[in-house]
Amino acid sequence: MRTERLWKIYPQDPRPVEAVRGIDLTVLRGEFVAMAGPSGSGKTTMLNLVGGLTRPTRGEVWIEGEEISALSDRRLADLRMQRIGFVFQSYNLLPVLSALENAEFTLLLQGVPAGERRERVRELFREIGLEGLENRRPPKLSGGQQQRVAVARAVLGEPALVLADEPTANLDSHTAEALLDVMERLNRTKGTTFVFSTHDPRVMERARRLIRLVDGRIESDQAASG
Amino acid sequence: MARRDNDIWWRMAWRNLWRNRRRTAITASALSFGFVAAVLMIALMDGMFEQLVSNGTRVITGQVQIHADDYRPERSMHDTMGGREGLDLAALVSAAGSVEGVTGVAPRVYGGGLVSSGDETAGAVLMGIDPRREEGVSRFGAAFVVGGMPGPGEIAIGNAMAETIGAAPGEDVVVVAPAADGSMGNELFTVSGVFRLGMGGFDDAYVLVELGSLQELMAMDRGRIHEVAISVDRTDQADGVATRVEEAVAGLADGLVVEPWSVFHEQLYFMTSMMGAANAIVAMIIFGMAIFGVANTMLLATFERRREFAVARSLGTSARSIVRIVVCEGLFLGLVSLGAGALLAAPVVVYFHEFPLDLSSFIGTYSFMGSAMQPLMTVEYSWDGPLVSAVALVGTGVASALYPAWRAIRVPPADALASR
Repeated sequence: MRTERLWKIYPQDPRPVEAVRGIDLTVLRGEFVAMAGPSGSGKTTMLNLVGGLTRPTRGEVWIEGEEISALSDRRLADLRMQRIGFVFQSYNLLPVLSALENAEFTLLLQGVPAGERRERVRELFREIGLEGLENRRPPKLSGGQQQRVAVARAVLGEPALVLADEPTANLDSHTAEALLDVMERLNRTKGTTFVFSTHDPRVMERARRLIRLVDGRIESDQAASG
Repeated sequence: MARRDNDIWWRMAWRNLWRNRRRTAITASALSFGFVAAVLMIALMDGMFEQLVSNGTRVITGQVQIHADDYRPERSMHDTMGGREGLDLAALVSAAGSVEGVTGVAPRVYGGGLVSSGDETAGAVLMGIDPRREEGVSRFGAAFVVGGMPGPGEIAIGNAMAETIGAAPGEDVVVVAPAADGSMGNELFTVSGVFRLGMGGFDDAYVLVELGSLQELMAMDRGRIHEVAISVDRTDQADGVATRVEEAVAGLADGLVVEPWSVFHEQLYFMTSMMGAANAIVAMIIFGMAIFGVANTMLLATFERRREFAVARSLGTSARSIVRIVVCEGLFLGLVSLGAGALLAAPVVVYFHEFPLDLSSFIGTYSFMGSAMQPLMTVEYSWDGPLVSAVALVGTGVASALYPAWRAIRVPPADALASR
C-alpha cells in the first residue's frame, strides 16, 4: 500500500479542515503497523482514504499496484471486497445476521460456495475462541466476542490489507490483549497486512512499525519493539 | 456472486422488517386497512354497477339485441329484420338461443298507437311479444298487479295508463295504429292484466300485445320483427355473447346487427364507465396516500440504519444489493399487509354479499337513468377488485421503498461510520 502527496480537506465554515496534509506512506505486505496520534490527527481519515471509503482531495492511493482514488464506486466496492478488510472501533456487525453469517459476509460477496464458507468460518472461530457462538446475533455477544467476529469478517476473505480503526477502544484490557493475539497470529500465519489507527499503548507495543500523526502529517515513522 | 447465495438479501430484508415490530405492525395495519377499504369499495361499486346494469337491462331491453342494421335510431316500423320479406323467425330464435351464455330470447315488434276505453284515449308504445319467451328476458311477467300476460286478442297495460283511460282486466279497449301497408289498423282487444314496473315512461305508455295479434294489426307478415332481445347469465359478459350470437345468426338474413347493452344503452354504459373511472381514481388516491405514508416510515427506518448500510458498503456490498435489501423489505411489507388485509377483507365481503346494507328506510326506492334502483348496498364477488387491489398494495410496498433505497445507496460510508 502506498500513498503519494495525499491530501484530504473537508470544506467547513469558517475555514476548511485539512485532515490529511500531503502524506507519503508505503506499507509492505505482511507488516503490522500502528498509526498513533491524538484525536483529530488524521488517523481515521487516513484509513478511510486507503480503504477507498472517501476520496482524496489531492494525491494518490495505490493498493497492490492499482491507483484507486479515481476508481468508480462500483470498482471501489469490488476492491474493498477482494483486497481490503475493515475492523471498526464499535464492531459494526450487521445486527440481523448471526455471528457466522456476519463472519462469512465477505466470503459470500466473493462468491465462495456455502460449504466452503461455513468450513472456513468454523475453523477460524475455533482458532479465535468463538466456537459454539455461531448462531448468536450480535446483541447476544459480549464486546470482545463481537470484535473477534468483526476480525474474522475482515480476514476471512484473505485480503491483502486489514484496516483496523481503534479496534481495542471499547474493550477491557484482557479482551484487548486476546484480540491482539488473534490479529498478530493471523498476521504471522497468513501474512495479512494490518494497519491500525490507535492511541491504545497495548496496540502500539505490539506493532512492529509505529507511525505518529500530528495535525494531518507524519511526525515519526519507526520500527517498534513489537 | 453465486446464484444460490442471493437469498441472503431476502433474509436480511425479512429480518430487518421485524426489528421494530411495533412500527412494522402499525405500517402493515395501515396498508391492510387500505386494502380492505379498496376491496370493499370496489366490491360495493361492482354491486352497484351490477344492480344498475341489471335493472337497466333486465326490466325490458335484455343485455343483447338483434336488429336490422337500419332500425336504430329512427325505429321505423318498416325496418324489420330481413327487410320487407322478413326471415325465418323460429330459426333465428333457435340459433340465438343455442349460443353459450344466452338464457332467454324474445322476439318483438314495435308500433305506435292510441288506446281508448270509453271516452278516454292515451298514446301508447305497442310492444308485440311472445309471452312465454318474454318471461325469460324482461320483468313484465313478474310485474303484474292484476291479471297476466296477453294472449291472442288481448293486451296488458301499465297501471298508470289503466288509471288514465279507466280500463281494468276483462274490459275491452280499442287500439288504433298505423300499419306497414299505409293503412290505419284498429282492433278491439281485451285487457288481460295491469303491470307496474315502477318506472316512469313505461307504466303510463307501454302496452303489451301478443306478437301475432300486433303483426296482424300492423299488417305485417309473421316473419317480420323489429327486435330480438336476449338475456345472458352475466351482464359483464354481454360483449362476448353478442359476438357469438352475431356469428350464429349471420346466415339467416342480410344486415343483422347484434349489439350488447353497452351500445344500445349508451348513457348507462357512459355512466358506469364514469363510475368505474371514479372508482379507480379513489383507489389510486388511497394507495397514493399509503405510498407517501409508508415511504416516510421506510425512510426513517433506512435513516436509522445508515451506519449499517455504510458498513455493508465498506465490506464491498454493491449499491444494487443495498437497493435489493430495501426494496425486498418493501415487498415483504406489502405481502404481509396483503395477507392480513385478505384475512380481514374476506369475512367483510362475504358478510355484505350475504347481508346487503338496506338503505331503503333512509332513501326509499328510486329510478336512475331508466333503471329502477333498490337502495341495497350489495357486494359482488369478483376476482378483479381484490386482484387489482393486491397488485396495488404490493406495488405500494415496493414503490414506497424506492426512494429510501436510493437514499440508502447515497450514504457516504465514511460519513455514516463517523457519525457514532
